[in-house]
Amino acid sequence: MATEPKPNKVKTDLLRVEGVTKVFDGVIKAVDDVSLTVAQGEIFALLGGSGCGKSTLLRLLAGFEAPTKGRIFLAGQDITDLPPYQRPINMMFQSYALFPHLTVWQNIAFGLQRDHMPKEKIAERVESMLKLVQLTSFAQRKPHQLSGGQQQRVALARSLAKQPKLLLLDEPLGALDKKLREKTQVELVSIIEEVGVTCVLVTHDQEEAMTMASTIAVMRDGTILQTGTPDEVYEQPNSRQVAEFIGDVNIFEGQIDAYSTDHVLIRSDACMHYVMHGISGRVGLPVVVAVRPEKVLLSKEQPAGEVNWCVGEVVAVVYFGDHTIYHIQLANAQVIKAQQMNRNTELAEAIASGDRVYASWSGLALVVLVQ
Amino acid sequence: MPHGVVWLWLCWFNKSSICAYWSQLGVMIIHFKKLFSGKNILILLPYLWLTLLVAVPLLIVLKISLSEMSATSVADMVSWSQGWPTIKINFASYLFLATDPLYIDTYLSSIKYALLTTLICLVVGFPFAYFMARAPKHLQSMLLMLIMLPFWTSFLLRIYAWKTLLVSNGIINNVLLSFGLINQPLAMMNNSFSLILGMVYSYLPFMILPLYANLSKLDVRFLEAAADLGASAFKTFWLVTVPLSKAGIIAGSMLVFIPAVGEYVIPELLGGSDTLMIGRVLWDEFFANNDWPMASAVAVVMMLLILLPMSLLNSYQSRQVEFEP
Amino acid sequence: MNKIFARTWLIVVYLFLYLPIVTLVIYSFNDSPLVSIWSQASLRWYRALANDRDLIASVVLSFKIALIVGLLSVLFGTLTAFVLTKYKRFYGRTFFFSMATAPLVMPDVIVGLSLLLMLVSVQHWLGFPDRGLLTILLGHALLGTAYAAVVVGSRLKEMDIRLDEAAMDLGCKPRQVFRLITFPLIMPSLISAFLLTFTLSFDDVVLASFLSGPGYSTLPMVIFSRARLGLNPSINAVAAVTIAVVSVTVIVSSIYQMRTQRKRNHEIAMRYSDGIQ
Repeated sequence: MATEPKPNKVKTDLLRVEGVTKVFDGVIKAVDDVSLTVAQGEIFALLGGSGCGKSTLLRLLAGFEAPTKGRIFLAGQDITDLPPYQRPINMMFQSYALFPHLTVWQNIAFGLQRDHMPKEKIAERVESMLKLVQLTSFAQRKPHQLSGGQQQRVALARSLAKQPKLLLLDEPLGALDKKLREKTQVELVSIIEEVGVTCVLVTHDQEEAMTMASTIAVMRDGTILQTGTPDEVYEQPNSRQVAEFIGDVNIFEGQIDAYSTDHVLIRSDACMHYVMHGISGRVGLPVVVAVRPEKVLLSKEQPAGEVNWCVGEVVAVVYFGDHTIYHIQLANAQVIKAQQMNRNTELAEAIASGDRVYASWSGLALVVLVQ
Repeated sequence: MPHGVVWLWLCWFNKSSICAYWSQLGVMIIHFKKLFSGKNILILLPYLWLTLLVAVPLLIVLKISLSEMSATSVADMVSWSQGWPTIKINFASYLFLATDPLYIDTYLSSIKYALLTTLICLVVGFPFAYFMARAPKHLQSMLLMLIMLPFWTSFLLRIYAWKTLLVSNGIINNVLLSFGLINQPLAMMNNSFSLILGMVYSYLPFMILPLYANLSKLDVRFLEAAADLGASAFKTFWLVTVPLSKAGIIAGSMLVFIPAVGEYVIPELLGGSDTLMIGRVLWDEFFANNDWPMASAVAVVMMLLILLPMSLLNSYQSRQVEFEP
Repeated sequence: MNKIFARTWLIVVYLFLYLPIVTLVIYSFNDSPLVSIWSQASLRWYRALANDRDLIASVVLSFKIALIVGLLSVLFGTLTAFVLTKYKRFYGRTFFFSMATAPLVMPDVIVGLSLLLMLVSVQHWLGFPDRGLLTILLGHALLGTAYAAVVVGSRLKEMDIRLDEAAMDLGCKPRQVFRLITFPLIMPSLISAFLLTFTLSFDDVVLASFLSGPGYSTLPMVIFSRARLGLNPSINAVAAVTIAVVSVTVIVSSIYQMRTQRKRNHEIAMRYSDGIQ
C-alpha cells in the first residue's frame, strides 16, 4: 500500500548481503533473513533501537560472527567464510578500542605492520593519516593522554590507514555530548567523503542517521523495515512502525471511504482525510493515516473545505526556543501535535493554552500506512 | 613391494573404492586436525595439568582409603582371576573412624574451632574493612599495603612469634610480671586460647580483603538514601550495609572456614593435647603411624565435610570478579 | 565520635597484626639463649646464622624451588585463566573450573597427602620420580597455578575484549593478538603472580613435608622442626632477615605503584588543558 523507494542510480554495488540470518544458542534470532546492497561511495546507516540486530549485523560484516545462513559479498567476492583479519574491511569501535600500551603513531601503524609494508611507506601513510585528522603533533602520546574527541580521531585514522574497501562505524557519535556531536558529525562526513570510502554505520540516533547517511535502513527485531534515502524514510514511511520510530508523527485510524488511482478519502473519528496519492484497497478497509507535526497549520478561524482539518483545544504549549510544539486535544480525546517555527517574536495570532484552534494540513502531506 | 603391486591392481580395477578410501582418509585427517586445533590444544594443556595434580590424586586418596596397608606399599585393590576382575574393598578404616569416639570428637572439635575462628574474624574484620573503605582515598592504598605486609611475611615465623609471646616464660608474661601486674604467669599457651588466637591472627587478612573489596565498591548514595528516608546510623548499617555486603561476607567466611577445618601448623605449634584438630590427626596417622589408608580415610571424610561450604563458595564466586563457570 | 571509634579500631587491629613481627625482630638482637628473657643487645645470633650450614643449605634449596615454581605457576596459571575467560563453553568446563579453584581453599594437609599418594603410585609404575626436589616443585606449582590463575584472571577479565577484536580487524591472526596485545597488557599481573607464588612456595611447610625426601629440607621445614622442639634464637635471626627483605620489597613496590598511578592521573588530567578537542 505504501509507495516503493526510488531505485538507486546506476552505481556499482560494493557490498551485497544475501539472506543473512544469525541465530544464537539455537533460539535467539538476532538477524532474520536480511538482504541489502550498498553502492560504492555510499554512507549507509543501520538505524534501530537496542536489540534490533543492527550491531550483530555489523559484526557479521566485520567477521566477528559467522552467519547461520546466507552469504556476504564484497566487490563480487564471497567473504562469508573469511576471518576478520583477511577481510578488506575495517571498523571504528564505539569505545574506540585504542591499544593503551601503544602511542598514537603506533596505533595507526599497527594494521600496516601486519601487512608487512616497508617502513618508509608505513611512515608516509601514518603521517598522511595524522594530517587528515589533524593530530600530527600528538603522534607520540598514549591514548590516556588524549581527550575523548582526540581518541576518536585516532580511532578513525587507524581504521582508514589500510585504505579498506568498506568502513564500519559503530555508533560513532554515541559517546559525545550534543554540541560536540554536531561538530564531529560534520568533520566525520567530510573526512569520509574526502577519502571516498564506502561506509556502513550503526546507530540508534535518528538524527545521526539522517544527517550523516545517504541511505538509511530502519531495523527492528532482526529485519529491515524500510530502506531509502533519509527523505524517503521520513516523508514516505512504509509502515506505522517506521513512521513512529523516526521523528514525531500524528496517527489517525480510520477507514477508506472512497478511492481511486490518484487520491483516497479516509474517514476517521475526528475528521476526513483527502490523501493525494492512490492506493489499492476496498471501501471500508481499516487504515492508518499519518501527518508530521511540522506540516500541521494552526489557525483560529475555520479553514475552507470539508477535508484535512479538525478542531480542538490547546492543552499544552512546549517551547523549545527555535520552535514550539502545541498539543491539541480533539473532540474524540485524541491529542495531536503541531510544530511551529518561532519566526517572529510576535505572532499574528498568538496561540495559548486553552485556546480553541483549527489544525489543518495539505493532502500532499498525508501518508497512508500499513498497520 | 608385493603390497604395492596388489594395491596398484586394486586401484586399476576399483577406481570408485579408491575415491572412497581417499575421501575417508581425508575426512579422518580433517577431524584429526580439528581435534588438535589450536584452541583444543590450548585447553588441553592446563586441563591435563590440573587433572593430573588435582583430580587424579583425590581419586587415589579415595582408592587407598578403601584398601589395606601392607609393609611397604599399598595392596592393589583389583586382582585378576580367570579373566574376571575382583575388586577388594576394605572399609576397615572407615569403620574405625565411625566407631572410635575420638575421631568423631576431633571432627566436631575442628568444626567448632573453625566456626569460632570465622566468627571472630568476621566480628573483628568487618568493622575494620568498613572503616578502611570509608577512609580518605589517598590513605586507602597505604592501609591496604599495611594489611598485605604481614601476609607476605612468613606465616610460620609469625606463628612461632606468638609462641615466644604466649609461653609461661614468654615475653608477655615477663613484661606483665616485671610490671607487677600479675603474680603468676598466665596460662596462655597450648590451650584453646592460644589456638584460637593463632587462627584468628593468620586468617584475619583472608576475611578483611574480600570484605574490603566488596565494601569499597558500595555506593555511598545507598546510605545517603537511607538516611534521607529517616533511618538512624545503626538501622542503616543493619538494613542496608550488611545485606549489600553479603557476597563479601560469604566469600570471606568461606575463605576462612574451609582451610581452618584442616589446619595443621597452628594446632601443632600453639595447640595442646586437649585441642583436637583433624589436620593433626591426619598428619600423625601418616607420619607417626605410617597408616596410609587411615590417613586417606580421614582425608576423605574431611573433604566431605567441607564439600558443602566449598560448593557454596563456588556458586558465590561465580557471581563475582574472577571467572564465570 | 564515630571517627575516633573508627581510628581506634584500625590502630588496635594493626597493632595486633604487627606485634609478633616487631617482637621477633627486637628479640633477635637479644643476647640470651632464652629467647623471651631479655639480657642485652648483641648480634651473636646473626653471626651464628652465617655459620649455620643446614639453614643456609635449606635457604638455597627453597630459593631454587621457589624460582622454578614461580615460572611454572605463571605459565599454567595464565593458561588456565586464559582458557576460562576466553572460552565460555567447552566440554567439562565446570569440572575444569572446580579443579582450578579447589587448591585455593582445600586444607594443605589434603593437598599434600593426595599429591604424595599420586606421586608414589607414579613412582611404582614408572620408576621415578623419587621424592625430593621435583616432587616438592610439583606440589608448590599446583598451589601456585591456582593463585596465579586468580591474579591473571582478574586482569584478563578487566581487559576490554574489543581490543582483541580491533587487533583482528586490523589484520592480526589470533596468535599474534596474544603476543602483541594481550601479553603486554597483562604483564603487571604476571609479575604479581610470580611474586605471590614465589612467596607461597618459599613459605610453605605442609606440602614440602609431605613431598620431600631424605636430604631435601626446605627452610620452612628446618624452622618448623626447630620450633616444635621449643624456642630457638636462630629462628629469630632468620625471621628478622626475612622480614627485612620482604618489607623492603613490599614498600618499594608500593611506592613505585603509587608513583606510577599518580603520574598517570596527572597525565589524564593534563589532556584537557590542550584547549580545543
